[in-house]
Amino acid sequence: MEIIERIKTNKSDDNLTEIQKICLHKLQSSPLPNPKSELWRLSNKSKLSTFLDYSVNKKDSKFDVPYPKNSQSTIRLIIGENCQIKLIEKNYSIQQLSEDELQKYIKEQISFFKQNENWSDLLNLSLSCKNNILGLKINGSKIPPIEIFSHASNNSLNAKTLVIFLEKNCDVELLQVNLGKENSSLSQSTFFCLKENSSVNHGVVSYGESRSNLLNSLNVIQQKNSSYNLGSLHFKFNYARFEISIKQSSGNAKTNIKGMQITKKDEQISTYTKIEFNGPNGFLDQINKSLADDKSHAIFEGSIIVPKIAQRTDASQLSRNLLLSNLAQIDTKPQLEIIADDVKCKHGATISQLNEEELFYMRTRGITLTEASKLQLSSYFQEIISFIPISKDKWDLLDKLLNEN
Amino acid sequence: MVNENLVKDAVKEPYKYGFVTDIETEKIEKGLNEDIIKLISQKKEEPKFLLDFRLKAFKKWKKMKEPDWAALGYKKIDYQDIIYYSAPKQKEKISSLDEVDPKLLETFDKLGIPLTEQKKLTNVAVDAVFDSVSIATTFREELAEHGVIFCSISEAVKNHADLIEKYLGTVVPASDNYFAALNSAVFSDGSFVYIPKGVACPMDLSSYFRINSGDSGQFERTLIIAEESSSVSYLEGCTAPMFDTNTLHAAVVELIALDDASIKYSTVQNWYAGDEQGIGGIFNFVTKRGKCLGKRSKISWSQVETGSAITWKYPSCLLLGEESVGEFYSVALTNNLQQADTGTKMIHIGPKTKSTIVSKGISAGNSKNSYRGLVKMGTKAKGSRNYSQCDSMLIGDQASANTFPYIKSQQPNSEIEHEASTCRISEDQLFYLQSRGIEFEEAVSMMVSGFCRDVFNQLPMEFAAEADKLLALKLEGSVG
Repeated sequence: MEIIERIKTNKSDDNLTEIQKICLHKLQSSPLPNPKSELWRLSNKSKLSTFLDYSVNKKDSKFDVPYPKNSQSTIRLIIGENCQIKLIEKNYSIQQLSEDELQKYIKEQISFFKQNENWSDLLNLSLSCKNNILGLKINGSKIPPIEIFSHASNNSLNAKTLVIFLEKNCDVELLQVNLGKENSSLSQSTFFCLKENSSVNHGVVSYGESRSNLLNSLNVIQQKNSSYNLGSLHFKFNYARFEISIKQSSGNAKTNIKGMQITKKDEQISTYTKIEFNGPNGFLDQINKSLADDKSHAIFEGSIIVPKIAQRTDASQLSRNLLLSNLAQIDTKPQLEIIADDVKCKHGATISQLNEEELFYMRTRGITLTEASKLQLSSYFQEIISFIPISKDKWDLLDKLLNEN
Repeated sequence: MVNENLVKDAVKEPYKYGFVTDIETEKIEKGLNEDIIKLISQKKEEPKFLLDFRLKAFKKWKKMKEPDWAALGYKKIDYQDIIYYSAPKQKEKISSLDEVDPKLLETFDKLGIPLTEQKKLTNVAVDAVFDSVSIATTFREELAEHGVIFCSISEAVKNHADLIEKYLGTVVPASDNYFAALNSAVFSDGSFVYIPKGVACPMDLSSYFRINSGDSGQFERTLIIAEESSSVSYLEGCTAPMFDTNTLHAAVVELIALDDASIKYSTVQNWYAGDEQGIGGIFNFVTKRGKCLGKRSKISWSQVETGSAITWKYPSCLLLGEESVGEFYSVALTNNLQQADTGTKMIHIGPKTKSTIVSKGISAGNSKNSYRGLVKMGTKAKGSRNYSQCDSMLIGDQASANTFPYIKSQQPNSEIEHEASTCRISEDQLFYLQSRGIEFEEAVSMMVSGFCRDVFNQLPMEFAAEADKLLALKLEGSVG
């Protein structure tokens, strides 16, 4: 693990940015996450070390797989390809954050980091060079949908960072796509700041090829009266971790999360979410679905934290899991930590397989078992997929899920 | 609008079992080393296998680290500052209850425990444990007629060494966890129950644990074996006097159910919880586990946890036998600065096994109440099912309620369902009851009692009444 060695030996490189230096320094005391901690104990150690085995990709080669056709109505940005954007229209503006703004914000975020919880972010920020950080300030209304891509290149470790400020009263649809390549690792960290009254429909779609790895971290701060909707889908990764941290900084905000992960072969995909309410009247509706087949392992851990100040919080969390093979494994842990007394909080979890009665019913109506299973799966997937913005027409996600093996 | 203070007043209730019995006791010196363990073993005239068991456990314990993953905060325990053996001095051998020190009998009378046989009507056989030793076991002859063995574990070691050697440590091995290892090294007494094949135990069995001295820990060990097609209901109660130091209680309970056997284990735990500032109180670190070895065997845990400054307790079931059943019903009430991290583990190993978990947590004052549970479906647990429900109720805005359910499945042909909710005493309901002429305190008590009903229904009758009263006492102030 070249990277870890480099962190340990602290070879100073003059080309490093200040943020890279800060993060490297922070990592030095414990270069790897504590494997016994709750957040990492289920994570496959050898897979994590393959993630770190690749050398860091410094210069970006052009991505050779064509993206789905871009329609004129969407704005498309690719992190790492020196994308410059300055769009000022009548109703809205999308501008790049200045370096000072970017540095100030990231530094502030780092000061809240905890070694274990934010290890993925620390690693990301210590690796991603200036070119691979995209900072955006979005303002206005009637903004066309935005697509943002991050991709890995073969045989390398790639770190990409995205910072988005959503100004007051702004309303936007944003799809983030993380693409893995064969034998590659991608570290993607996203920092989202939603100012008052803003609202976003955020989609995160991540898929790889064989032997691709992903560490995807999403940090969201919601100011009051903001509304954050997240639809996410992760599949086809040898190893993937999706870490979501959402903070309603003064309550009074709405969060909707619908996420899904699908594991096959010997893959391991995990989702860790932490939702904190730092003020009253917060709302959360979260559903996470997992499907594990073959010898794979799917993990979900979600914590909801309601301190004393967060009175009248209404939070619900549901974890639904399908276990389709004798050798597959599912771990789920929805957890509540509550101090405020005037709250409505509930969670639920189920693990089962496809409903046999429904399958039987369909077969008595002349539908083959394979078709019937597909039908059932498509209804299981559809709830999540329909929640992912602007993916409907171009991405054929349902097709990809049902027909790919 | 509910007056916050009223609720707070309502949950204040002095601990009424806090008296100390002034009785001459025999204590050994403080500290823990191999010599102390040998001394305990020698005092109890134990066979060699047991001393070896203890020493092996002690060796393991020395290498272990105190667990820190529970959501509990307490100052470090100095294990060398504890007396590991303390016993009331009395005549060597007791042939009947008349020879027991009257002061001891008086103590148990004060606690409302029927030790004298004239209280036969209650039809409960009791094994009373005072500090480190068992004082008396009632109804022995009647039970013996049915072949049931009910005695203290020290007696069992002498009279039924074969059974002890065969089963001790098979459910909770000495190296299981830090506190179990400590208990295995120094356990002093406890109860032993053996129900022979085909016998339904004619009466409820009960043990009553009393800590009397302030500087000695209590380490009891309970072993219950239910042979094929037998059944037993076992009750456990505990109290302790008020001291401003913390006393350590680390017990181990092992249950074994063979084919078609059923064991019902109920606990009302009311150790001293410390005062309002959190000074004193019992540290309750308990390992309870049952093994459903046989086909169609059943183990049911029900518990009402109201005492202890710190509770760390996860009564579990290992479901090995085909179609075996595990149940866990729990009410945990914390008040003032009490902390509880409690729940259960249901490990489904055999096929077609079933488990049910119903947990109700009530936190008041500045207390912290966590449910932590594990449901695991092993690769061979085909056709198994689990249903869990954990509800929390918060009283006041300083208390905290946490839920940490761990769910792990490796078997597609099994079903797991988990639900949890958090609520508080609803103002609408309170208002409704008050408008119908029910006093505020009674209304709160009624609602808490209603909240816990699913669990109380599972308790044996004597206990259900006691539990209801206990909660009412803790929550109602003067009422009750």
